Amino acid sequence: MLKLMQNEWMKLWHKKGTWVMTGILIIITAGMMGLMKWISIQQDMGGNFTRAGMIQDPSSVGGTVLLLTVIVAAGIVASEFSQGTIKMLLTRPVKRWKILLSKFLTVNVFGMFLMVIGYAVYVLLALLLFKSGAGESISSWSVWSKSLYMLLLSFGNVFITATFAFAIGSVFRSSSLAIGLSLFIYFTGSTISAILSRYEIAKYLLFTHMDLTQFETGMMLVPDLTMPFSLAVLAVYIIVFLVISFTTFVKRDVTA
Amino acid sequence: MKPVVELKNLSKTIRSKKIIDNLNLSLYPGQITGFLGPNGAGKTTTIRMMVGLMKQTGGDIVIDGVSLRDDFEEGLSKVGVIVENPEMYKFMSGYKNLIHFARMHKGVTKERIDEVVRQVGMQNRIHEKVGTYSLGMRQRLGLAQALLHSPKFLILDEPTNGLDPAGIREFRQYLRKIAEAEGVSVFVSSHMLSEIEQMCDRIAIIQNGKLIDIREMSDARESFYYIEATPAEKAKQMLMDGGFTVEAFKDGLLVNAEQHQIPGLVESFIAEGLQVFAVQPHRKTLEDEFLEMTGGGQIAEAYAK
Repeated sequence: MLKLMQNEWMKLWHKKGTWVMTGILIIITAGMMGLMKWISIQQDMGGNFTRAGMIQDPSSVGGTVLLLTVIVAAGIVASEFSQGTIKMLLTRPVKRWKILLSKFLTVNVFGMFLMVIGYAVYVLLALLLFKSGAGESISSWSVWSKSLYMLLLSFGNVFITATFAFAIGSVFRSSSLAIGLSLFIYFTGSTISAILSRYEIAKYLLFTHMDLTQFETGMMLVPDLTMPFSLAVLAVYIIVFLVISFTTFVKRDVTA
Repeated sequence: MKPVVELKNLSKTIRSKKIIDNLNLSLYPGQITGFLGPNGAGKTTTIRMMVGLMKQTGGDIVIDGVSLRDDFEEGLSKVGVIVENPEMYKFMSGYKNLIHFARMHKGVTKERIDEVVRQVGMQNRIHEKVGTYSLGMRQRLGLAQALLHSPKFLILDEPTNGLDPAGIREFRQYLRKIAEAEGVSVFVSSHMLSEIEQMCDRIAIIQNGKLIDIREMSDARESFYYIEATPAEKAKQMLMDGGFTVEAFKDGLLVNAEQHQIPGLVESFIAEGLQVFAVQPHRKTLEDEFLEMTGGGQIAEAYAK
C-alpha cells in the first residue's frame, strides 16, 4: 500500500498544476492576512485583531485548502481514465480496491499537507503583522491548542468535500462534474440548510454538518445540534460515498 | 507440454448479448500464438478478460495453474500486457514511468529496470518526458513495462500499431527471441495478417465470439500451381479430365497439383498444341484463407462498447 501511495504522490507532484496550487494557497493565505491587517488599520479596531486572536482561528485556511484538494480528489481517478493510463494501472497484479484506496489516502495526505503549509504561512504572518493585545501571551498552551483544534475542525470540511468529489470522480470518470458538484454543495449547502432549518429533515442533511467549526464559533445553522450527532451523520455519509465509489470501481468493465 | 494459459468455457454476456461464447484455448510456453478475427468478433473483449480489465460472466481463466477468479494477484503476476497503444504518464520521464509500474510488481530491482531499458534500446532517451516521445518510442517503452517482471506470458493487443517497417521487424525478432530463449508464451492479436503470418507458430481465429479454428503455421498446406495457357477452355478441360480441381484465377487457372505432376502436365499441354505462358507455384496467403473462413469482411453485429 505504501508503494502504491508513493506512486500516486509521485504522479501528483509531477503535474505542474499541483505546484501551481501550492503557490496559490500561499498567495491567497498571505493575501487574506494582508486584507485583515488593512481592515484593522482602516477601522482602527486593533483590539479585535490581536496576534493571539488571529492564531486562535486559522479556519480561513480550510476554505482555500478545500478548493484545491477537491480539484485533486476529483481528478485522481478521472484523469487515469481520460489519459488512458487506467488500463496500464489495472493490468497489474494488484487488486482494484487497493489501487483506489491508495488514491483516496493520497488525496487526504495531500489535503493535510496543504493544511500544514497554509497554517504555517498563516501563523507566520499573524506573528509578523499583528501585535499582541493587552495581557495576551502567545506562549500559553491554550492559544495553540485552540488554534490546532480549529484547524482540525476545518479539516473536517476538507475531508468530507474531498471524499464527495473523489466518489463522484471515480463513479462518473469526469473530473469537471466532480469539481462542479462539490463546489456547488460547498457554496450553496449552508444556504439550503438555513432555508430548511425549521424542518426536521435539515438535521440529516450533509450540508448542515459539513462545517464543524460551527460548534466552536457558535454560529449554528440548525439549533440543537451536538458534535457527536454531527459526526455520526457525517460518518454515515462518508461510508455511503466510499461504498458507492469502491463498488463501482471494482466492478467496472474497463473499455477505455 | 503443460499450457501456461488456459481459457475454459470463457463467456461474456453484455446486456443479454453473448459477446464471447464458450471459448476454449490453451497457450504453450515458447510459442507465439496469433489471435485473428474480423472487427467486433470479440478479440479485444477476450484479451481484456484475460488481463483483468473485464470480468467474465462464465468460465475460467487459468494462468500457470492459478485461476484468476481465486487469486487475481498471483495469476496476473505472471502476465505482461500491452493493450493497444501503451498510454504512459506523459508528464513523467520514461524512467519514472517504469519505476511506477515496477513498484506494482514484486521483486523488480533497479538493475532489472536498467536491463529492460537496454533491451528495448531506449537508454539514450529514457530520462526524457514521455510527452516528447514518438509513437515508436512509446511502443518500446510499452514493451519495456510489459517485460519488467519477466513474465511467463506476454499478451499483446495490436502491438505493431504505429511502428515503421524497421520497427515492426525488430519487434518481431525480439518477440521470437524471448519466446525461444526464455520460453515465454506470447499471445498477439492483430489485424495485420501478413504480420501474424510471419511472427506466429500458431493461429487462433475467432468469429462472433466463437473460436472457429486453431492451426499450426507449420502444417503442410495443399500445394497449388498457377497455370496460364491458351486456349484456356481446352486447358481447363484437360486438367479436369486429369482429375484436378481447377479454379479461375486472374488470367489463368489455379490447380491443386503436386510438384512432381507438373512436368507431365506441361508435356501433355505442349503435345496438344497449347501455348503455355506461365507455370508457377501458388501459395495461398493467410489473408485468402482468413477471408475464406470468416466469409469476407462482414462485421459481426456491433455491440455497444
